[in-house]
Amino acid sequence: QEPSDDSQAPGACSTEEVVRYEYHVLYSSSYQVPVLYFRACFLDGRPLTLDEIWGSVHASYQARLQEGPWDTITQQEHPILGQPFFVLHPCRTNEFISAVLRGSQEHHRRTNYITLWLSTVGPVVGLNLPLSYAKLAPEQSRDAAVD
Amino acid sequence: MTDDKDVLRDVWFGRIPTCFTLYQDEITEREAEPYYLLLPRISYLTLVTDKVKKHFQKVMRQEEVSEIWFEYEGTPLKWHYPIGLLFDLHASNTALPWSITVHFKNFPEKDLLHCHSKDVIEAHFMACIKEADALKHKSQVINEMQKKDHKQLWMGLQNDKFEQFWAINRKLMEYPPEDNGFRYIPFRIYQ
Repeated sequence: QEPSDDSQAPGACSTEEVVRYEYHVLYSSSYQVPVLYFRACFLDGRPLTLDEIWGSVHASYQARLQEGPWDTITQQEHPILGQPFFVLHPCRTNEFISAVLRGSQEHHRRTNYITLWLSTVGPVVGLNLPLSYAKLAPEQSRDAAVD
Repeated sequence: MTDDKDVLRDVWFGRIPTCFTLYQDEITEREAEPYYLLLPRISYLTLVTDKVKKHFQKVMRQEEVSEIWFEYEGTPLKWHYPIGLLFDLHASNTALPWSITVHFKNFPEKDLLHCHSKDVIEAHFMACIKEADALKHKSQVINEMQKKDHKQLWMGLQNDKFEQFWAINRKLMEYPPEDNGFRYIPFRIYQ
C-alpha cells in the first residue's frame, strides 16, 4: 500500500488525497506472463474510477496510455477473488521482457524475472520497487529463461 | 465450419424471455410497469438493455438516476458474463420469463465492474477474443487482422448481425490443415 499524497502539515487543507493501493501479482496461463492486478480507494473507502486511475498514471507513460487506454488499463474480475480490480494488460509483456532478458544473458547477469518485470510495469501504476529488491543474494534469484 | 452453420445460427439466435421490474425502493414519480424483452444469449446485459433503461427513467427524476445495474434474487448480475451464462448459472431451473430487478442506486462496487459506456463492453469483448486467440493461434490470427476487422466483429455482435460477425470470426475458428487443430482449445468453466 503506497500513499500517493504529499500534502505538508497535518490538518493542512490539501488538494491531493491519500489513496490506498492494493497490488496482486497473478500469472496468466493464456499469455504465459505475470499480470499486475490492483485496486485503489480513498481513505473513506470510495474506490477510484477508471478515469481517475488513468489520470494517476505517471506522466512518462501518459502518451502511451492515450494511444490505447482500453488496451492498457481496464477493470476486470479478479480470477480468484471474483471482485473488480484494475488490470495492466499483459499482451505486450513478452515483447519488452524478452529484450531485457536477452541483454542480461549477454552480460552474464543473473536475473530474477519477477523483479525485472515488476520494476518495469509497477511504476506505470504507482508501484515503485525499492532498489533493495535488485540486490537480492544470488541464491535468492533464479536464472530466467528467454523464449 | 459450413456444415455447422445451422448449429452456429441456433446458438447465435438463442433468446431468453425476460421480465424487468424496477427495484421497489427506487424513487418514482408514478408507478413503473414491468418491461418484457427477449434477451440474446450470446450478448451482454448492458449492451441490449437501452430500452429497459429508457422505460424506467421515464418515471424517475433525473437526480435519482445513477448507473444502472441488474440483480436476480438478491444477487447482482455480472454484466460482463454473457446473458446465456448468467441465466444458466442463476435461473436455469426456474420458470420463464426470467425475472430481473433493475437498480439505479447503490451500485455494488465490490461485486460488479462499472459500465459507463459501450466502449467498456467493446474492450471487454475484444479482450476475451484476443485471449482466446492467444490459446488457439498464439495470437497470430487476431494480430494480423486490421482494426476494421476487429470493429466488424464488435459491430456484428452489437447489431445482432450473424453474417457480418462470422465473416470475420470464421478466420479465428480456422487452423492450417497441416496442424491437427488449435494449439489449445479455449474454454471457461463457471460454477
